[in-house]
Amino acid sequence: MPVSAKGRLRLTVEGPEPMTVDVEPEDLGALQRNAVEARSRVGGIADTAASRASGQRRYEAVVDGWVIRITVESAERAQLWELAARAATESRPHVGVAVRAQIPGRVVRVWAVAGDSVEVGQRLLAIEAMKMENEVRAPRAGVIADVSVGVGQTVELGDELVTLE
Amino acid sequence: MNPVRRPVLRRVLVANRGEVALRIIRACREAGLESVAVYSEADRSARHVRAADMAIQVGPAPAADSYLRADRIIEAALECGADAVHPGYGFLSERADFAAACQAAGLVFVGPAPATLAALGDKLAARRLAATAGIPLVPGTFEPLATHTAEAMAAVRAAATRIGWPLLVKAAAGGGGRGMRRVDDEADLAAAIEAATREAAAAFGDGAVYLERYIEGGRHVEVQLLGDDHGRIVALGDRDCSIQRRHQKLVEEAPAPGLSAAQRRAVHALGVRMAEAVGLRNAATAEFMLTPQGEFYFLEVNARLQVEHGVTELLTGVDIVRAQLEIAAGSPLSDAVLAAADRAPDPRGHAIEMRISAENPLHDFSPEPGTLTRWRESGGPGVRIDSGVEEGTVVSVEYDPLLAKLLVLAPDRPAALARLRRALDEFEVGGLQTTLPFHRWLVDQDDFISGRPSTDLVARTWDPLPLWRAAAAQAVDAVARVAADEQRAPLLAHGSDDPWREAARREAVDRCP
Repeated sequence: MPVSAKGRLRLTVEGPEPMTVDVEPEDLGALQRNAVEARSRVGGIADTAASRASGQRRYEAVVDGWVIRITVESAERAQLWELAARAATESRPHVGVAVRAQIPGRVVRVWAVAGDSVEVGQRLLAIEAMKMENEVRAPRAGVIADVSVGVGQTVELGDELVTLE
Repeated sequence: MNPVRRPVLRRVLVANRGEVALRIIRACREAGLESVAVYSEADRSARHVRAADMAIQVGPAPAADSYLRADRIIEAALECGADAVHPGYGFLSERADFAAACQAAGLVFVGPAPATLAALGDKLAARRLAATAGIPLVPGTFEPLATHTAEAMAAVRAAATRIGWPLLVKAAAGGGGRGMRRVDDEADLAAAIEAATREAAAAFGDGAVYLERYIEGGRHVEVQLLGDDHGRIVALGDRDCSIQRRHQKLVEEAPAPGLSAAQRRAVHALGVRMAEAVGLRNAATAEFMLTPQGEFYFLEVNARLQVEHGVTELLTGVDIVRAQLEIAAGSPLSDAVLAAADRAPDPRGHAIEMRISAENPLHDFSPEPGTLTRWRESGGPGVRIDSGVEEGTVVSVEYDPLLAKLLVLAPDRPAALARLRRALDEFEVGGLQTTLPFHRWLVDQDDFISGRPSTDLVARTWDPLPLWRAAAAQAVDAVARVAADEQRAPLLAHGSDDPWREAARREAVDRCP
C-alpha cells in the first residue's frame, strides 16, 4: 500500500502532563493495517482556523470513559514552530503567565492581589458555574502582576483572570 | 362516601427539564394523562420538549429567568389548561410559596402540602421537629449561627467544641450538598462558615447555617416514603447513598447493603414517624446517617421526588411517579404500593444507580460544558437509562451537570455489580468529559464491592492520574492508526464528503506543493 506522507508524525495529547509521541515513517504502513478497529473509538474534532493554518489535525479518542484529545501534525513542522516560539520568548525575557478561565461562569470571590507572591496551588479566585463554586489555583509559584476580573463579573471560557510573573 | 373531594387530572404541567422532566412525561403518558413541558430558550429542542404533548417557553437560558420563575410557570399552566403541576426535583420542587401559589391558582401541586414543605425546607425546623418526635439526631445546633459580633462568634466556637471535630457547617435551606463545608479544626471554622453562608445565600436566597457533627466512616441510608390524602403513610424501602463527593451523591443502591431485617424495620419506622410528625402527603425521603456503631441518626427529609427514586422502583416494581400522580388525584395508596411496603423489610433483588455527569473527574470533578458529539447508552437485560440528552445536545453551565442515570437490577448484589460493569463498558460519550471513568474505577474497588461504602471513600482513595495516563497511551495508539490511515486517504477519497478525508486531502496538498 503506498504511503503518501513523507516524514514523521507527531501526536500531542492535551492533558495534565505533557505527552508527545512521534511516529516514524516506516511504521505508518503497519499502523494503517489496523486502522479499522481504532476508528470505532476515534472521532474528529472540527478544525479551527489556527489548526488549519498550522497544518494540524485534531482527534478525540474515547477510552475507558476518558475523552482524550490529540493533535496530529508533521514532526518537522512542529519543531520549526517550537524553535520560532522559543526565539520569541527569549527576546522578551519577562513574560507573564496568564491564568485563564477553564469554565464560563461568575466570579464570586477574589483572593489574588496584585503584587502578592503565591505558591503553586494557592487559590486565586472562585468562579460559580453549574451551581457550584470552583476555585482557580495558581499553576505555578510567582508574583501576581495583574488581576483582570472582579467579584460579580461574568467570564467566558479562556478569559484572562490573573497574570503571574 | 369518600370525604375527600377528588380533583380530576387530565393535563399535567412538568415544571422541570432534563432527565426528570422526561421521566415524569413518560409516567403521564402511561397513566393516560396529557403532559405539558416548559423550557428555556436554550432547551428549545431538548428531548423533554419533544416528548411532551405540548410545550411552552418560559424564559431565557438562565434558570433564574425561566425554570425558577414561579409566576411564569403558573401562568403557562393556566394558559394551556393544565390541572396539575409536577415540579420534579430541584428548581421549585421544595418551595412552599410555589406550592401555595399553584393551589391558589386552582392547580393541583404534585407533592406535599405547602405547610409540610415549609416545615421541612428549613433543615433547622426539621431538626427541632424530629427532636420533638423523639427521633435520634446527629449532635449539632438547632438555631441559625450568629457570627456578627465577637461574643456571638465565641458562642459558635464554644458550640463547635462541644459538638467535637470534625464537623459540618450546613445550610438551613440546603440541598444537593450546596452550602456545606467540612471543618477539621477551630482555625478553619470562621472561613468555612463564611463560605457556606455565601454559597447558601447564592443558591437558596437564605444564608442561615448551622453545625452538625461529621460522622467519620458513617453511611448515608434513606427511606422512601409515600403518603396519601387519607392519612396513610408507608415506607417503600431503603437506599444507600454513601458514595459521595463534596456531599453530592454519585451512586445509590436499594436495598442498603448489609442491614438486618430488624435494622430495616427500625429505620423504616423512624422515617414513617417523621413523616407522620409533618403530616406528609405524596412522596418524600427521610435521610439518616448510619454510624459505624449501628445507630441511625436523622439528617433531613427531602419532600419531593428524589433523583435516585429509580432504584426503589426497580426493586419494588412500584412506579413512584405514577403513585405521586394518583395520590395527587386523591386516590388512596394502591394495593400494589401497600404490598410492596409490606415486603420492604425483606427485599429480594438488588438495584444500583450511577449518576453520569458532565464533570471532569481528572480535574476535581469541575463542570465540563460542551457539545455531546457521541452518545451511546447501554442496553440489554436489567439495564435502565434515565437520560435527558442525546447526540448534539449542548450541555450548558446554566444547569445541573447530570446527563443520565444508569440503573441496573439483578437478583443479588454481586450480579448487579457484574451487570453494572458490563453496562458501563457499553456507555460511550464523546465531545465532553463525563464521570464515566470514575464509575468504571469505583465498581472495582474493594470497599464498594464489599458493600460497606462510607461517605468519605472517594475523598480518601480517588487518584485519577494513573488511570488517565493508561487511557491516554491507548488513545495515542488508536489516533496514530487513524492518522496513518488518513495519510493515504487523498488517493482514495475523491468526491467524499467526509470532513476528515477532506482535512487529510488539504493536508496532503499542503505537504506536496
